[in-house]
Amino acid sequence: MSINQILPFISTAIMLWFTVDVFQRFLVRRNPAFLFWGIGLAMFGAGSFAEVYLSLAWNKWMFFIWYLFGAALNAAWLGHGTLYLLVRKKWAHVISLILIGGSLFAANLMLQAMPKLDETIFTTSKPISEQYGTKALDAGEPVPAGAQTITTTYRGEEVTAVRGLLPLGTAVRLTTPFFNIYGLLTLVGGAIYSAYLFWRKRVMPNRVIANVLIAAGALLIGFASTLTRLGYGEFLYLGELLSAVLMFAGFRLAAKPQPEEVVVRNSIPASAD
Amino acid sequence: MSIQTKAKSKSHIPENSILFEKIVPIALIIMGIITFGLMLFAAGVLLGIVQF
Repeated sequence: MSINQILPFISTAIMLWFTVDVFQRFLVRRNPAFLFWGIGLAMFGAGSFAEVYLSLAWNKWMFFIWYLFGAALNAAWLGHGTLYLLVRKKWAHVISLILIGGSLFAANLMLQAMPKLDETIFTTSKPISEQYGTKALDAGEPVPAGAQTITTTYRGEEVTAVRGLLPLGTAVRLTTPFFNIYGLLTLVGGAIYSAYLFWRKRVMPNRVIANVLIAAGALLIGFASTLTRLGYGEFLYLGELLSAVLMFAGFRLAAKPQPEEVVVRNSIPASAD
Repeated sequence: MSIQTKAKSKSHIPENSILFEKIVPIALIIMGIITFGLMLFAAGVLLGIVQF
């Protein structure tokens, strides 16, 4: 087993532990933030597990899980949990309905794309994130080394494209940026904003650091994915692992009880006993 | 007479701490800029301006 197969296993294990921890908190506190974080983390874990599987063998339903949960939805669901801490519950509930509807719509589009997958292109020698999408080449753009190309008609024009599992113009790919922009804004933006509020009020130093760790962890996975897309796929699994560790550490730190500082003593008349 | 004790769990950021006075604000500013940049990048992908 190579290091690239071991690292996602460790990430998956951490995510599983993290997910159970968050769901347990939801059961105790009944706060919707924990529910959405838990679901988002479960999606992250499922995506990591599918990634491990696809580094060993092909299975189209593992690809379905990897793309839908790992690449498209998990950041939005994680970030939506943070939204519950920042806006009125009424508004968060409305956005929950939009998120659930959008996720079902994306799942339906992904199901429609499944019969069209170009499975013959799949290889275990490259991370799945380097081979999922078909990319049209601009006129005169050189073909990347080792890439297989196809000439096809796209938007009324004949184009040469680097082959990928999902065909050119697959509708589900258009939904991914919406989820990821929302996830980035609420998860990273929410953590930065929360850290700033605590820092400005000079209270809860553990929550300041916790939110910095959560924001850094979420940004790290975004960076690792971008580097992979730019051809530096060797950082992806390490990035995922560090991201899982940072976010888990941030969450545990935020949930840690603070030392008791102020003790208020109230005298109550004996008759009230 | 009985005494009721109410504890408030609210700690404060230490004064003159390099971590909280320098590192945290700089980290927040840098991460904010990166987040904004990534959002512009993602919007560019969505609008077809950036090929990704």
